[in-house]
Amino acid sequence: MSAAGRLPWVVIGLAVALYVGWAIVPASSLYTEWLNGHRLLAIAAAFKLVYLLAGSAWAFACRDRLEPGNPARPAWFLLSLGLLATFAGQLCLAPFQLVFGETPFPSPGDIFYVLAYPFLIAALLVFLNAYREAGLPMGSLAERLILVAFVAAVAVVILRPVAATPGPLLDRILTIAYPALDLVLLVPLVLLLRMALRLRGGNVGEVWLLLLTGFVFMCAGDICFAYFQSLGEEHLDPFVHATFMLAYALVAGGAHRQLRILKS
Amino acid sequence: MTTTEATSAVVKVLAPYIGDTMARSATQAHCQKLGIAVSSPLRPDQLESLLGRLGAGLNIFLGREKSASVIGEVRQALAALEGAR
Repeated sequence: MSAAGRLPWVVIGLAVALYVGWAIVPASSLYTEWLNGHRLLAIAAAFKLVYLLAGSAWAFACRDRLEPGNPARPAWFLLSLGLLATFAGQLCLAPFQLVFGETPFPSPGDIFYVLAYPFLIAALLVFLNAYREAGLPMGSLAERLILVAFVAAVAVVILRPVAATPGPLLDRILTIAYPALDLVLLVPLVLLLRMALRLRGGNVGEVWLLLLTGFVFMCAGDICFAYFQSLGEEHLDPFVHATFMLAYALVAGGAHRQLRILKS
Repeated sequence: MTTTEATSAVVKVLAPYIGDTMARSATQAHCQKLGIAVSSPLRPDQLESLLGRLGAGLNIFLGREKSASVIGEVRQALAALEGAR
């Protein structure tokens, strides 16, 4: 990878370290004198917006580069729409985060965040179907059923404490909806991860490693958010910011890598 | 040229794109589906069917143009292998 190609990863690595540091040592002078909660929230908002918009644009460009009739073309389009909906959600939060230094929950942004899931889930399912049609090994029906049963068991464990937390109905619906939708996303994600492992060592493998790791971080971010929100542990929110920034950067990086392959 | 020799040449070309493991397993799976025996000589019609299937699979990852160019590289590698015999 060239020095110019490494730069965005160095930047995101430093940004993630900054937010992890904020969660671990919030009393350090870096976070009390140089930066403060408001500034850190604004930086995180800007990072997320940039990576989401770039990811959406690159995924759309991938769709554009693939010829009509290519089974992966609609999947890239759906991924682009999913990232765009997430961008719209983040954009709704941006004025609050940039001006007031706060993140309201629930907010109009949640409409777009929830809307993003059908697109993202459909994108992964269409990718899965495209690769299965191409004759790539995707596991037997029995393996898929075992996976669904495992995810359902994990869902019960994860969602029970979140569901048991008292609070306004809309808050509770959303804090359950995000991890629940993530767990639905997890089923095609695991099947695609299996395929991605077989692609390792190749250019396409890099694309999938970036995309799927990004999705894993996205799921982790949502689950952490639901826990921290429902258990009143908002001081751990910097971890959530770090997770989402990394997730969006990885997905955008994967789309960019795929675009480079298609352009080469 | 035997199927084993052709598979090695195909995998060498495809590996930088889809990795060694996927290149090998996809080539072997397509050979199996086409009824191509591993140790027997590969007939021209069998080779065309195999390249057609590999090209269709690559198409999803790389797009039609790039996929056609990679299959072109495979043909060159196979021609070089045949010429070296």
